[in-house]
Parts: sequence; C-alpha cells; structure tokens
Amino acid sequence: MIAVLGLVVGVVAGLLVRPEVPAVVEPYLPIAVVAALDAVFGGLRAMLDGIFDDKVFVVSFLSNVVVAALIVFLGDKLGVGAQLSTGVVVVLGIRIFSNAAAIRRHVFRA
Amino acid sequence: MNEHEQDRTTRPAVSPPRTAPEAPPATGLRRELPAEVPASTPAPAQENPQREPDRSGPTGRQRLLQGLWPPRLTRAQLIVALLLFGLGFGLAVQVASNSDSDSALRGARQEDLVRILDELDNRTERLEDEKQGLEKQRDELENSSDQAEEARRQTIEKERQLGVLAGTVAAQGPGITMTIEDTKGMVEADMLLDAVQELRAAGAEAIQVNGVRVVASTYLTDSGNGVAVDGNKITAPYRFKVIGKAQDLEPALNIPGGVVQTLEKEQATVTVERSTKIVVDALRAAERPDYARSSSR
Repeated sequence: MIAVLGLVVGVVAGLLVRPEVPAVVEPYLPIAVVAALDAVFGGLRAMLDGIFDDKVFVVSFLSNVVVAALIVFLGDKLGVGAQLSTGVVVVLGIRIFSNAAAIRRHVFRA
Repeated sequence: MNEHEQDRTTRPAVSPPRTAPEAPPATGLRRELPAEVPASTPAPAQENPQREPDRSGPTGRQRLLQGLWPPRLTRAQLIVALLLFGLGFGLAVQVASNSDSDSALRGARQEDLVRILDELDNRTERLEDEKQGLEKQRDELENSSDQAEEARRQTIEKERQLGVLAGTVAAQGPGITMTIEDTKGMVEADMLLDAVQELRAAGAEAIQVNGVRVVASTYLTDSGNGVAVDGNKITAPYRFKVIGKAQDLEPALNIPGGVVQTLEKEQATVTVERSTKIVVDALRAAERPDYARSSSR
C-alpha cells in the first residue's frame, strides 16, 4: 500500500514541480523509466508468486536503470544511439508483456 | 521457503490444468491412477487445486490484497515506495517535458538536430533569395511609377506650354503694349498683319489684339472701317498686348522703315509701352483638326 502511495505521490510531485530535465540526463530518462517499469512489473509478479524479496527488487530496479542508461550512453558514443535505444525498449517491452501475462494469470486466473 | 513456493506455483502451469480431471476419458484417469496413488486416486486430483493454496499460503490475488491492505510500515515497503516514487517522478517529468509543444526538439538526437538545422539554413537562404528578388521588383516598380509620375508632370507642363501657343490658356509675363490710334481710318489689315509678323519675328510668345487671341491660324481681313481678326470685327484704337522680351520687341517695331514708321506715314499714332506684367487672357476654343493628323506615330 505504501509502495502504491509512493508511486502516486511521485507522479503528482513530478506533475506539480515540473522540473527542467538537465541536459546530461535527458537522453537517458525515457529509457531509464522504461527499465524501471520493467523492474516494477517483475517485482509485482514476484510478489504474486510469493517470492518477492525487497533486496532483489532494489538491486534489479537500480541495475535495470543503470544498464539501460549505460546502453544508451554507449549507443550514442558508437553512433547507433537511436537503434540501440529502440532495441532496449523492445526487449524491455517484451519482458513487461510477459510479466504482465504472469500477473494476469495470478489475478484473473486466466 | 521461497523455493518451495515457486515449485508449487509453477507446477500447475506446466502440468495438466485443474479442469483436466473432468475432461479426459476414463482411460486417461486409469493410466494416471496407478502411478501416483493406488487407492483413492480421484480425490487428491480434484482436491489438489483447492488444497494447494491452503498448504502453500494464499493465492496471488490474496497476496496482492494482503499487500495492499492493511498498510504495513516495513522496511521493504518503504524502500519500494521510495523507488516507485522515483519512477513516478521520472515518468511524470518525462511525459510533461515530452508533451510540451515548444520542446519538440528536446528529445531529438544530435544528428537529427544537425539535419533540422541544415534544413532551416537552406530554407533561410531560399527565403533570403526570394526576399531580394521581391525587393528588386519593388524597386523597379517604384522607379517605373516615379517615371510615370515624371512623364505625367512633363506632359502637363507641355500641355500648358502648347496651350499658350494655341491660345487655349491665359498667359502672363513681361512684354509690351502697343496702341495704334487711327483717327482717319487709314490702317488696314495688311498693316496690322505686318505688325503681328514683326512681333512674331521678334520673339513674341502670346499676342492678343482688342480681346482677340492671335494664334497660328489667325487671319486678318479688311472689314468696313475696321479690321476683322478671325472674323471678329475690331475697330481703332488697336491695342496689342504682347508677351515676350520687351528689349527685343520694342526695337523691332521701331526700326527705320519698320511697323511704327509705316503706320505713322499713314497718319496713325503708335505708342509702345514696356511692362513687366502683361496678361493675355483672351482665349480660343481648342479645335480638333478635321484633316490634319499627327504623323509622328
């Protein structure tokens, strides 16, 4: 419950504050958000499976964000930033979908 | 414990579903029965899905509800809340910055920006060229309109000058007044014509005699005891108003054997006065020639 509250408060704060995104972070933020979403769905699935572990969640969340940003950074340096970030989004999207399917099976038994 | 749960939860997905015992025919049942439990086989197969949650704890849905309510202030909840706060914050910021209409270029990559910049440069160049062309055109039009205005002004000026010569407009300027007193009726048309010719030769620009304008087509005829100018009968004294250079006109009339001497020989008295302002205001109607046409075009 507190976790959901944290998400809601974060969205509200982001909408209210509307901070200027620093130029350094700008290219990484979207990918980082998608990676974090993937981690959150994975965590939700683990919770429904009853194997949720907060330490695992924290590590996977942070490492997902860092790795995603790293890939984008590397892609930019290699000159294939657009393609690589597309690839990252596709992979993360597939994972999110499979996690969402598992969650769906748990919640709706279908 | 986690290992155990995982094992149990994954088993139903891999092994035949819970509805399986009802659907397959008896042969399927019989085949499975000896393998697992010899005695009371149907019972566990059907009870398994119901008993499994009891043994392994709550189902996924129940766990979700438990997690949601009642709220528990545990370390895990706090950490996850913190991370989710970060996620929500980043999400909202990204969405907000992306939906700003003025920052469509914000998410663009460097090469895209370079390309857009190039396109803008090209466009600017094209528009600059177009602007120069249009400015040139405007200058030309302004010049031509100036020229048209100048031509119109010159035409009006010319019309005035020609009007003075043709007698259609009044004229004023320096000149002389010549008055011929003819008490004995000796002055005839040819004498006045001589006077007019002499004046013209001396550079007279506008002449009128007794209220009749003298122009190129003017003719003089004898008429009783007077003279007819263009058919208008006039009588003595004949008063010439002449615009021109007085220093030329007066000597031209007074030369020996000239107009004045000839007239005085006929017992007429002639007086010539210089004036700085002579007004020739007798007018002639502008007549369109019936036959003569300009051949200049």
